[in-house]
Amino acid sequence: MSADLHTLTGAYAAHALSDTERLAFERHLDACPACAQEVRELTETAARLGGAVAAPPPPDLWDRVRGEALVTRQLAPVVGRADRRRRAGLHAGGRRFPPLLAAAAALLVAVLSVTALNLGLLGRSDRSERTADLVAAVLAAPDARRVAATPGGTGRATVVVSRGRGQAVFVASGLPPAPAARTYQLWVVGRSGPRPAGLVEVAGGGRVTRLLDGPVTGDEQVAMTVERRGGAARPTSEPVVVVDL
Amino acid sequence: MALTWTRREPARRPAGAPAARPAGDEALEGLLALVARGDEQAFAELYQRVAPAVFGLVSKVVRNPAQSEEVAQEVFVELWRTASRFDPARGTARSWIMTCAHRRAVDRVRSAESAARRDDLAGRRDQGRPYDEVVEQVETSLEREHVRRGLEALTDLQREAVVLAYYGGYTHREIAELLGVPPGTVKTRLRDGLIRLRDHLGVDA
Repeated sequence: MSADLHTLTGAYAAHALSDTERLAFERHLDACPACAQEVRELTETAARLGGAVAAPPPPDLWDRVRGEALVTRQLAPVVGRADRRRRAGLHAGGRRFPPLLAAAAALLVAVLSVTALNLGLLGRSDRSERTADLVAAVLAAPDARRVAATPGGTGRATVVVSRGRGQAVFVASGLPPAPAARTYQLWVVGRSGPRPAGLVEVAGGGRVTRLLDGPVTGDEQVAMTVERRGGAARPTSEPVVVVDL
Repeated sequence: MALTWTRREPARRPAGAPAARPAGDEALEGLLALVARGDEQAFAELYQRVAPAVFGLVSKVVRNPAQSEEVAQEVFVELWRTASRFDPARGTARSWIMTCAHRRAVDRVRSAESAARRDDLAGRRDQGRPYDEVVEQVETSLEREHVRRGLEALTDLQREAVVLAYYGGYTHREIAELLGVPPGTVKTRLRDGLIRLRDHLGVDA
C-alpha cells in the first residue's frame, strides 16, 4: 500500500485523485516527508503550467470580486505561525528597502505577468515600430532566457536575453519616477567594466520595457543606476538593480 | 549593493537549470500577508497581478465562459477569506493561489456535469488532442514557450497524462479510460511527467 502511495505525488499535485484517494494520500503525506517535499515541488510545477495559459479576465470581474469580498468575513490566522512567517522574512508591512536613494527606497520592481508584458509593449507609443519589433524578436527567440534580479538588493527586475541574437530586454514595473533632473540608466557590466546600455523612460504604472543598446553575450551583468539627466559615460552611483545574466 | 563594476567570475547555476520561478513572487507573499489583515488595496494589487493567470487557468479547465467567471470570482473571494492560512514555509504564494484556482475549477467540472462529462469523454476521443490547443495558445510569451518546450520534452504518454489531468481536469481513472491504459500507468506517467517538467522549468521548492 505504502509503496503504491509514493507514486501518487503527481496525480495529487494535478488534482487527479478521487476524493477518497486524496484523503488517503493526505494521511500518508503527514507521515512521509519525502512525498511531502515532492508534492511541494510538483505543485509548484503545476502552477507554472497554469501560468502558461494566462488570459485577460473580463473587465467587470474585479468589481464583482470586490463586492463579494467586502461582505465576506476573513478567517483568523492559525495561532503560532507568525514566528515562522517572520523567519521566512515577511513583514506584515511588506519588504523594507534601505533608504539609500530616494528612488531606490521606493523601488519595487516586479516582473510583469506575461499579459502585462504584452500590454506594456503594445502601449509604448513613443517607441518606434522597429524597436518594438526588435523587443518582440528577443522575447520570442528560441533561446530566450528570463533572469530575475539578484534577490536581496534594493529592487527587482527582469532581463530577457537571447544569446543567439546577442540582445537583451530589460523589463520592470512599479518603478517610481526618477528624481528631478535625474534619469535611470542601464549598464552592461562585462569583464572590462560597465558600458552604457541606454536611458530608461518610465511609462505609466512605472513600466519599463527597454531593448539594451549594444550587443549582449549573456555572460554579463545588467545594472541600473540613477544618473543626471542625459546619462553618464560611467556610472556615478550604486546600482538600484543588478541582474546576473 | 555590492557590485564592483567589473563582471565577477560567473557563478553558474547548476547545469541545465534555467532561470528559477517567475520573479515577483516575494512581492505576492508580502501582498498576501497584507490581504490577511483586511487590506483592500493589497487585495486589488494581488488581483491585478494574478487575475490573468487565475482566469486563464480556470477558463482552460471549465471552458464555459460564464461558469469560468463564476469560478474565478469564487477563487478570489476564497483567497480573500483564507489569506491568513497561507504559509510561506509550505510553498510560494503563486503556487498556493494557482492550486486554489485549479482545485476550484476541477471541483466545478466534476460536480456539475458527471453525465455530460461522460459524453464529453467519449466525444474527445475523436477530437484533436487537448495538447494541440495548448500549443495553439502558445505564441508570444516566454513562460508559455518555456512550458511548451517542457511539455514537448515529455514522452507522449507523460504529456497526455499531464495535459489531460491539469488542463482537462480529469481524474487519473478517467485518463486511463481515455488513453486505454491501466490507471497505475497513468499515476506513474503523471509523476514522471511532472518531475521532468520540474527539472526543465528549474522549479525549486
